[in-house]
Amino acid sequence: MTAGATLRVDPELKATAPDRHLRGVTQWRWTEVLGPLVLLVTATYACASVSPGMTFMVEGALALLVMVLALQIFIGNSGVLSFGHGSFALLGGFTTGLLTMPSLIKVNALDGLASVLQHAHANMVTGIVAGVVVASVVACVVGAFLMRLHGLAAGIATFAVLMVTDNVFFNSRTLGPGPQVMPQIPRFPTLEASLALAAVSIVIAYGAGVCRAGRLLRASREDYLAAQALGVSVWRLRLLFFVLSGAMAGLAGAMYAHHSAAISARDYYLQFTFLTLGMLIIGGAGSVWGAVVGCAVVTGLSQVLLHLEQGLQIGNLIFTIPDGVSGMVIAGTLVVVLLWRSTGLTRGREFRLPRIGAEVG
Amino acid sequence: MMQVIIDALSNGGLYGLAALGVGLVFGVMRLINFAHGELITCAAYLLVVCLPWGLLPAILISLAAGTVLALLLELGVFSRLRGADPAVLLIASFGVSVLLQRAYEAIFSAFPRSGQAAAWLSEVWDVGGSQISRGSVVTVVLTLALLGGMKLAIEHTPAGLQLRAASSDFKTAQLLGVRSSRVIAAAFAASGLLAAVVGFIVFTQRGQVDPQFGVNITILALVGTVIGGLGSLMGAAVGGMAVGATISVLSNALGNDRIYTYSVLFLLVIVVLLVKPSGIFGQATLKERV
Repeated sequence: MTAGATLRVDPELKATAPDRHLRGVTQWRWTEVLGPLVLLVTATYACASVSPGMTFMVEGALALLVMVLALQIFIGNSGVLSFGHGSFALLGGFTTGLLTMPSLIKVNALDGLASVLQHAHANMVTGIVAGVVVASVVACVVGAFLMRLHGLAAGIATFAVLMVTDNVFFNSRTLGPGPQVMPQIPRFPTLEASLALAAVSIVIAYGAGVCRAGRLLRASREDYLAAQALGVSVWRLRLLFFVLSGAMAGLAGAMYAHHSAAISARDYYLQFTFLTLGMLIIGGAGSVWGAVVGCAVVTGLSQVLLHLEQGLQIGNLIFTIPDGVSGMVIAGTLVVVLLWRSTGLTRGREFRLPRIGAEVG
Repeated sequence: MMQVIIDALSNGGLYGLAALGVGLVFGVMRLINFAHGELITCAAYLLVVCLPWGLLPAILISLAAGTVLALLLELGVFSRLRGADPAVLLIASFGVSVLLQRAYEAIFSAFPRSGQAAAWLSEVWDVGGSQISRGSVVTVVLTLALLGGMKLAIEHTPAGLQLRAASSDFKTAQLLGVRSSRVIAAAFAASGLLAAVVGFIVFTQRGQVDPQFGVNITILALVGTVIGGLGSLMGAAVGGMAVGATISVLSNALGNDRIYTYSVLFLLVIVVLLVKPSGIFGQATLKERV
């Protein structure tokens, strides 16, 4: 009798098991960290082995990946949409750019600069650290106010932050290059620098989701009132994750600056924001694996389309698509993925090794 | 001074119309429609393409185009996303927006297309020594008439009643026999029509169209909708008017610093949201449950 009852309960427990993955991880599992890391390293070296052009491309993609991970830390765990992270990326990029560019060029190209910024200099490591610090301090101040908001009000308020940042930095010649570019930022010496930063970011993003604060924040995402009733200060948790993800966005901005060597305020504006947000949503905002997959899929797709636009030669045939089609295809893919799976390609689950005999999906 | 007031009114009216278009759709399906700007752009492109056939046919075709494109978006994309998270809807509408912009680039090229819609509108009236542009006055009259018409339609017709019912509580309205898909389609059609009017007004002001024609006004209209109070139709219109009028007044008041108009505007937006997160006319959505 008792045995029969136990048998009847078991299938129900099994049925709820995939649900746990949907809600996000609750404990550290090495496969879930190693999966994204293995994909990262393999894809990076596979692309880099093709040509110097591809090495350059993959370095840029690594900066974008760190940005997507930054978005995942905040959006994925809190469930609050942020359009404002471009501001923190801009601060990271501008800080390290101003600190590391050659002083002679800075005097000539950016003559309107405030004298503090004009005279400050640092090496690349200090520059990146300073960029991360500036981004996180600003994220802390901004977040202290904005994290009181919920839902769409929060989304629009972060959007307003992006608009203010862009408007100030696009026009001010005392804080940066204004509408012009900031030139001659030293480039990363090796691809491994970006790769290592991206790998560390993956581990941090995963750890943030698994730790106690991350799980509490996800609880508030699922049921705000219940989490509050259990004594969780949602404001404090959101602020904590907003600052952490702002710092990582600052890192991404700095990586982008040292990748492209010349940056302008508009590099971190709407297109950047929606490209990275699109990557996160396509992959699935609920997991680190989703962020990595989304970034890889969109980067891969846009590279293929770019090569097709330039003409792809297979045997004696050359395939070309008209200019401008790639933009349509990428935007179309985003829409189709959302229609097909509104929770993203990974459905917000972390990486799992395929098991023999396991149900698919 | 007179011109400043008229400018503020006409700018306010214009953004009010755009925000009402956004608010109509938001009310029935919680969609912040980024692609609203591309409805405006589509209408403006058809206006400039059809101008050789005369102003009136061009206006009619462009109004029809805005409405039809809005319905197509609803049928092709948004009707398949019923019940999705608002964030997903927002991102999907952004995808549609980029897709349409690229399509305009492919069809009409990235360079602006110019044309003269109504030369009469760009002249000025001389009233008591101060010059007042006819375009501004016509915009004020047109937007007031349209807003008034929409208010009447929403408050005194059966369709408007259903729309308001669906806006305030979609599920209950459905249970009471309001046909949801029809109401949503009507909201999209009305929003496309309003977008076409906005496209016409902005085109008479700028005299040219490019693929990003509607982006700026849509961003500001979205902000206006949120400030006015999501889910309240008149709130959306008033919020949009407030944003438009504020821009006008700020760019006059700031003088040489008018490049920083948007900074001041968006700081004000943040302040409004912090003081009243549900918007000026909105109701708090996060209620305590029993």
